[in-house]
Amino acid sequence: MLRKGGALLLRRPFCSSSDGFSGPSQSKVKIFDRNLKRKQRDRAAWLMSPKDTLVDTVAENILDRLEDCKKTFPTALCFGGSSGAIRRLLRGRGAIEKLIMMDTSYDMLKSCQATKYDDSIETSYIVGDEEFLPIKESSVDLVISCLGLHWTNDLPGAMIQSRLALKPDGLFLAAIMGGETLKELRIACTIAQMEREGGISPRVSPLAQVRDAGNLLTRAGFTLPGVDMDEYTVRYKSALDLIEHLRAMGETNALVQRHKILKRETALATAAVYESMFAAEDGTIPATYQIIYMTGWREHSSQQQPKRRGSATVSFQDLQKQFGSNTSSH
Amino acid sequence: MVRGSEILSKTGISKTLVEIMVCPLSKQPLRFCQKSNSLISDAIGVSYPIVDGIPHLVPHDGKMIDSDTATVPNDSVDSSDSKKDS
Repeated sequence: MLRKGGALLLRRPFCSSSDGFSGPSQSKVKIFDRNLKRKQRDRAAWLMSPKDTLVDTVAENILDRLEDCKKTFPTALCFGGSSGAIRRLLRGRGAIEKLIMMDTSYDMLKSCQATKYDDSIETSYIVGDEEFLPIKESSVDLVISCLGLHWTNDLPGAMIQSRLALKPDGLFLAAIMGGETLKELRIACTIAQMEREGGISPRVSPLAQVRDAGNLLTRAGFTLPGVDMDEYTVRYKSALDLIEHLRAMGETNALVQRHKILKRETALATAAVYESMFAAEDGTIPATYQIIYMTGWREHSSQQQPKRRGSATVSFQDLQKQFGSNTSSH
Repeated sequence: MVRGSEILSKTGISKTLVEIMVCPLSKQPLRFCQKSNSLISDAIGVSYPIVDGIPHLVPHDGKMIDSDTATVPNDSVDSSDSKKDS
């Protein structure tokens, strides 16, 4: 608070501190209840099926990107939602030798540890929180987060800490759920709640938009950022199957503002609205999952840099002459 | 300061992890305390438990170390606010 000529001016922080920790936490908005998320993931560890099409598809997509790089990643850190699927589907991509699996849920790690894998990657397990990353600076070559970061309260902070954990020229790969995810569920919940309870409480998390993802990467300080998006539509036999799937993935509601009571009537009404509004001819209902894939690199001198302003040696006119004037100029 | 190899043999934590683990709140190196089977962060006076060879480096599980031996559980930590009043 600054005092200026008798009036009090509130000091408004514009961005959280760049090293992610030191200094007072400035814009610490609690959207998600992280403790509840931890417990939900503990339960998901038990409910998880060994082969989940959606999660496996996302994991495969992320791991494919490792094959696009010539670089090898001897040490990798993997945290968040579907790290189990990543571990299972790795198959030697990226030439990873040492893998560190991190999760806020102890049970998730235990179930990963119990599974047998074909490869001989040295895997270590650590219980940790993405928002308070217990990893030393510049110590890992690769950071992967598959469907976990959309549950962080401070996503820029988590990404900044991930960047700091990376060695120079290290890669950050993340998949998060985007704004279109579960839009049918959002609509059905809102309608049913308005009808039955006369008000609405948030049922689906606020999720990032594709346009924000690029900003997030640059704000976290990553170079050569890349964002792309995939939409998957999963068909379920009924609305309740959808909820079961969400539970098994550990993706159920963890908003601080959630209404803790769900009346049976409301639940049934939601299922009915969902089915009447979105059901296909064969009676199955679709659910949209929009996944945003983000890639970024830790800065390194070998990466291409934009040239200094004023150092151009060729003008646009020269380019136009070179490529012919019959092309339209924009 | 206990050497990495000693931690390795006593708790089953891998060498890779020992080299890169730091306190989640202060980002300072950790020290292994054999008596309580936990990792101590001297910078802020917090101990993190090791359960079954897996260190729990989350602020929620950290316990404030009260003078010598008695530890006080720190359930009120939901963010790093309480640790930052130094």
